[in-house]
Amino acid sequence: MSNAPRVDPKLLSDSMSMGSVTAQICQGLDRPSSALWWGAFLAAATALGIGVAAVAYQLRVGIGTWGLNNTVGWAFDITNFVFWIGIGHAGTFISAILFLFRQRWRTSVGRSAEAVTIFAVICAALFPIIHLGRPWLTFWMFPYPNFRGPLWINFRSPLVWDVFAIATYFTISVLFWYLGLLPDFASIRERTRSRLRRKIYGLLSLGWTGSQQTWMRYETVYLLIAGLATALVISVHSIVSWDFAASIIPGWHSTVFPPYFVIGAIFSGMAMVLALTALARRMMHLEAFITVRHFDLMSKVLLFGSLVIGLTYVSEIFFALYSGDEFELFVYANRISGTTWGLYHAMIILNVGLPQLIWFRRIRASIPALFFIAVGISVGMWIERFVIVMGSLHRDYLPANWADYTPTWIELATLLGSFGLFFVLYLLFCRFLPVISISEVKQLVADIARREET
Amino acid sequence: MVRIEMKKDEGRRKSGLGSASLDEERLDRRDFLIRAGFTLGSSTVAACGFAPVEKAIPYLIEPEEVTPGEPLFFASSCSACPAGCGLLVKTIDGRPIKLEGNPEHPISGGALCSVGQASILHLYDSQRLRHPLRAGQPSSWTEIDREISDQLEALRGEKRRVCFLTGTVHSPTQRELINRFLSTFESSHWASYDTPSCSAIVEAYEQTHGIRLLPQYQFDKAEVIVGLNADFLGTWISPVEFARGYRTGRALEGSRLRFSYHAQYESRLTLTGAKADDRFCVTPDQFLPILTGLAARIVERSEKEISLPAPEASFDQLLDPVVEKLWGSRGRSLLVCGVQDVRCQVLANLINELLGAYRRSIDLRYPSFQRTGDEAGVAELTSLLHEQEVGALFLLGVNPAYDFPREAQLLDGLQKVPCLVSFAPYRDETSEFAHFVCPPPHFLESWGDSSPTARVLNLVQPTVQKLGETRTIIESLSRWLGETASDRELVEKHWREHIFSRQVGFRAFEDFWTKTLHDGLAPIRPERLQVRPFQFESIEFAAITPSQTSDTVSLELYPPTPATDASPSSNPWLLELPDPLTQTVWTNVLIIGIAHARSLGLETGDLVEVSPTGTGDSLEVPVLIQPGQHERVVALSYGYGSKNSSRFIGTGPQWLERGESTWKTAIGVNAAKLLKPGEFGLHSVVTPVEIKALGRRTEIPLVQKPESSFPERFRHTPEGRGILREMTLETLLSTRPIIETEHPEDLWPQDHRYPGHHWAMMIDLGACTGCSACVIACQAENNIPVVGPDESQRRRALHWIRIQRYFTDHDEGVDVAFQPMLCQHCDNAPCESVCPVLATVHSEEGLNQQVYNRCVGTRYCANNCPYKVRTFNWFEYSANDQLENLQLNPDVTVRSRGVMEKCSFCTQRIVGARIQAKREGREIEEGELQTACQQTCPSQAIIFGDRNDPESLVSKLRQSPRGYRLLEELNTKPSITYLAAVRNRESEGGEPDE
Repeated sequence: MSNAPRVDPKLLSDSMSMGSVTAQICQGLDRPSSALWWGAFLAAATALGIGVAAVAYQLRVGIGTWGLNNTVGWAFDITNFVFWIGIGHAGTFISAILFLFRQRWRTSVGRSAEAVTIFAVICAALFPIIHLGRPWLTFWMFPYPNFRGPLWINFRSPLVWDVFAIATYFTISVLFWYLGLLPDFASIRERTRSRLRRKIYGLLSLGWTGSQQTWMRYETVYLLIAGLATALVISVHSIVSWDFAASIIPGWHSTVFPPYFVIGAIFSGMAMVLALTALARRMMHLEAFITVRHFDLMSKVLLFGSLVIGLTYVSEIFFALYSGDEFELFVYANRISGTTWGLYHAMIILNVGLPQLIWFRRIRASIPALFFIAVGISVGMWIERFVIVMGSLHRDYLPANWADYTPTWIELATLLGSFGLFFVLYLLFCRFLPVISISEVKQLVADIARREET
Repeated sequence: MVRIEMKKDEGRRKSGLGSASLDEERLDRRDFLIRAGFTLGSSTVAACGFAPVEKAIPYLIEPEEVTPGEPLFFASSCSACPAGCGLLVKTIDGRPIKLEGNPEHPISGGALCSVGQASILHLYDSQRLRHPLRAGQPSSWTEIDREISDQLEALRGEKRRVCFLTGTVHSPTQRELINRFLSTFESSHWASYDTPSCSAIVEAYEQTHGIRLLPQYQFDKAEVIVGLNADFLGTWISPVEFARGYRTGRALEGSRLRFSYHAQYESRLTLTGAKADDRFCVTPDQFLPILTGLAARIVERSEKEISLPAPEASFDQLLDPVVEKLWGSRGRSLLVCGVQDVRCQVLANLINELLGAYRRSIDLRYPSFQRTGDEAGVAELTSLLHEQEVGALFLLGVNPAYDFPREAQLLDGLQKVPCLVSFAPYRDETSEFAHFVCPPPHFLESWGDSSPTARVLNLVQPTVQKLGETRTIIESLSRWLGETASDRELVEKHWREHIFSRQVGFRAFEDFWTKTLHDGLAPIRPERLQVRPFQFESIEFAAITPSQTSDTVSLELYPPTPATDASPSSNPWLLELPDPLTQTVWTNVLIIGIAHARSLGLETGDLVEVSPTGTGDSLEVPVLIQPGQHERVVALSYGYGSKNSSRFIGTGPQWLERGESTWKTAIGVNAAKLLKPGEFGLHSVVTPVEIKALGRRTEIPLVQKPESSFPERFRHTPEGRGILREMTLETLLSTRPIIETEHPEDLWPQDHRYPGHHWAMMIDLGACTGCSACVIACQAENNIPVVGPDESQRRRALHWIRIQRYFTDHDEGVDVAFQPMLCQHCDNAPCESVCPVLATVHSEEGLNQQVYNRCVGTRYCANNCPYKVRTFNWFEYSANDQLENLQLNPDVTVRSRGVMEKCSFCTQRIVGARIQAKREGREIEEGELQTACQQTCPSQAIIFGDRNDPESLVSKLRQSPRGYRLLEELNTKPSITYLAAVRNRESEGGEPDE
């Protein structure tokens, strides 16, 4: 930390003391659940229930209950997978990369963004499992010692890389998130009156003492894991993109995919975090900690992301034109003017057109407007993945093989269920854990105070 | 054979006791005692165990020749249609599992069509009648025999007739018995009809040559072939035989290059038209003027004094180039006419006579019996029926309530017969009201014979114990004659008395019989027919006046492609086989030309009501827009909408989204009832018809998306994607090689080494007619399940080989070509690298193998396959308790839900051949190994072999100037080489000559 902290005082609404920070952040944990929370939770749980029923039916009857066919082998399943993995990226981006770049505004949104990461990865990881023809054999994708002779996994397969990438990503994300929670667990332990809760939070805080040494080690480890996680932000979605880039299907086979997917992931994830933060701020009464300034800064990331995404859209078409390859050209011609043209244009409007509103200061100052844009981007990015996954498969090399795809309601219910799962987890998180990092806000309070002194 | 042999083989390797080493070793006394002691001890111990009772093989005394798991082949003859191809029936453990063509048979020459391949499924059809029916109720043969005999006895003294209504019957024993049976009555009548009919041809020969016959067409001897509405490669008379002959006349590889010229005049697109070098799209009423024009031009050149009606000048463009070629190679040309009009047929005979075709390519001395229907007799029968003159009527091989037009009033007459006996194997539309149904056994479980042509006499032998209480027709007839002979005795008696006298080279009947039984074919001297030469004088050619061509719309009814008659609708394999031209499955559609549809404002899938003007009949069918269809002709196939097909409506997995099926009562509509009874047989062209749009739509199960929905510039011309390549004969001969193929530098040439064999396949697109026999052969060989109409519509059919169709537009019309698509067994397979669990791997013989029990079903391999030849088991398709399962090939795994599958290059056959070769201490020889698709292909379009053997045919053909690998630029290195299709056209650029 530098002597003269460069910190934006607008990141907190009013001056507050160390004690009031803890009290305000933890107020939600002490009070009984609000009606709003219960309403949201029941809605999410219902969605989850519908999803569970759909998946159970699919597991019993067969993967044929999805709308896939012998030409389009992946559609909703892998779209949802890439979508959820992408959502997760913002959390790591905010908490790790912005931490390394000393962006103090991450303080108030980092915790929930990290939670979003973990829940999104859980949702994402479900899809590669349930989309299998024989999901009960998922364990065959892991390199565990067995008695099947030379049969092991195929290290050349991008799906195996996926398994490693996601497992690593999940592990690091959980570690990073938990590590950040340690001082806060200790704070809650100290202030709670219930013996049981004191015991639970005490256990969770791993015996945090708050000594100078603990803090030193904590910050070292936090920095190290932040460094690791930063690499993962780049690697995970690059590897996910190799699922497509390593194939030979036009529209998939493209060297631009890794950066394209990474930026897309951060873009879609940031949109989701913005939307969720707006919701959490309202629901958990965190207006003091999450200010308009935060939204202003997050929306600027969105604007940047949309420009880069727009660039990749243009460059993809340029590559196709420049290659002069019949098949490559056709894929883009088909995306723009084929049977699914509407999706392509919706994707352009939502991901590139709509975010341009952020240029206006008035839009940036309006949380409802930003919420609307963020939801639009989330939908747009889902469509983008669908256009890539399904749009490349349904019209590939041999026209005689072309086919169309429409999702069945079981797939729609499964998608709904994944949102249900995500929100159930997120709402539980809001209810039982500090949504904002207490220790970091305290640091911020101290820094702002010090800045005012100088 | 395969599995058992593998075990033996492994055992030998493990113990190190190779048979060879045992022979070489000198056995001393100690070793002998050790071994003897071990043998004695182990056998004693083994004998002490409680061995389970083996129920798998129900032989009480095992026949000497039967080894469990080892196939036995029996020669027989296919009775699925009257073409009479020779068969080798593959049986394993006493049950037939696959039909293969008999390579020594003169008609089929080892090939078999899709209908023949699929006919094995009827054997195990649980819906086949297994006992006689009396008034629709199950009964016993004793009761049936008593009642029928009583009724017949009552008729013997009477004036009322005993009649037979049959399809084509060319079984000598059956004919003799029917005649003998009928002769015991005061008066009798035997009428027969075929759908489609050839009686106009027969009638024309009566007029021109004074004898009723159906000639034998020899396409292999023709250098110029002109077809008029005769789909001889698809559905006409004997397609396997004709396709073989046609292929022989078009040999681009080998020592002698031959390539016939073929022009086709037709109104709807057929397989034959698709193959033609020049195809002329005309209306049905133009056939007569065209034939008149052709005849006039040839008469003019031949300088004969025959007066013909003046030809119409408007056809000059259609006729001149063809006449030039016909006359240019007279003596080696052939005109075949399938028009059901005696005037046309007489003119066709005249042309053939003037061209000298009767000396070479048409054989009248040894005629064909493949279509003997004579519809004049049916008209007589109808009037007899209405006059209540018929005391008893026996129906054999026909289902008039389904396939005879209502207009002919035969059906009303049938209701008046006091004793109606049907020999239907199923409950069909007619047997519904028959008094007695006497189901015959399947031809694979009964004795019989057939004589499809004058040269060929087949024997049909049973290959399995009867699966029900069925009785052959000959046995039933003999029972009613008061005899008690079995079918075998009847056939043998007939052969001893009537056929043995014509044998060649046998003294004893037993030797002759054994030899015939072994070969499936009798070594006989054919009876030569004395035919008087063509008499020009006897015919008033000038009296042939072409009817006025009009602007009305005609409806052409055609047999479902590929099939030769109207009865595939009870076979799920055939129902799920895509029509190669329309790519529809499970239903029939009204085919309509592009401009015609546009003028009526119709889209593919719109429902219309089609009704012949002036009749009350109408059908509600969806339309399919098809290039190559004449704009004033719509076409509809019969063979659908039967009572027997209704049971397939619910075929397919039952699940929530299945929804209501498009079909309520039957699959497709029965178009046969619109056939028009005419002077000589049933006419398949109905003019005029009215087409009324109903303003509703339906989903047509199409396995290939309609081409009309493609953006114009992605029409897949040879120049476009390079998928299906074509060239003219001229180009091939003048500037070879033509096809430029990139051969990317191989960075890892040692990645896969193929020390032993390296299997490869060659598919000659020039030879492929699109007949789809390979699809069904593969389905039978590889246990491929049927997924049902709804799943087919979702593009989830499981065929390992598909016939893909592409159109190419050119000025004069449209070219159609077919491409068999199956796993390319790439040496750089994109599917192999992406499978996370190594469920698809490369063998050291170049096979791309799919390991079903390792597959977890990510479907990544299918996505990454540029040829999209992998199919997925979306549901559990196999069922445990089906009679149909008896057909399953025990050498091939039945796949379960959630695994990927694809063509294996018939790996079970490769293993079988390897074991056989190893046992005989040699290498696998060229030609000893055939894949199922190759084996059945009538035009030898598929060749399989070892690429490592420089002398093999595949090695040689891989260097062919026509050869190309599909999507080779992706560097997948496919093992399949396609040979570009060739058309005998002069000009370049896919345009027919002017």
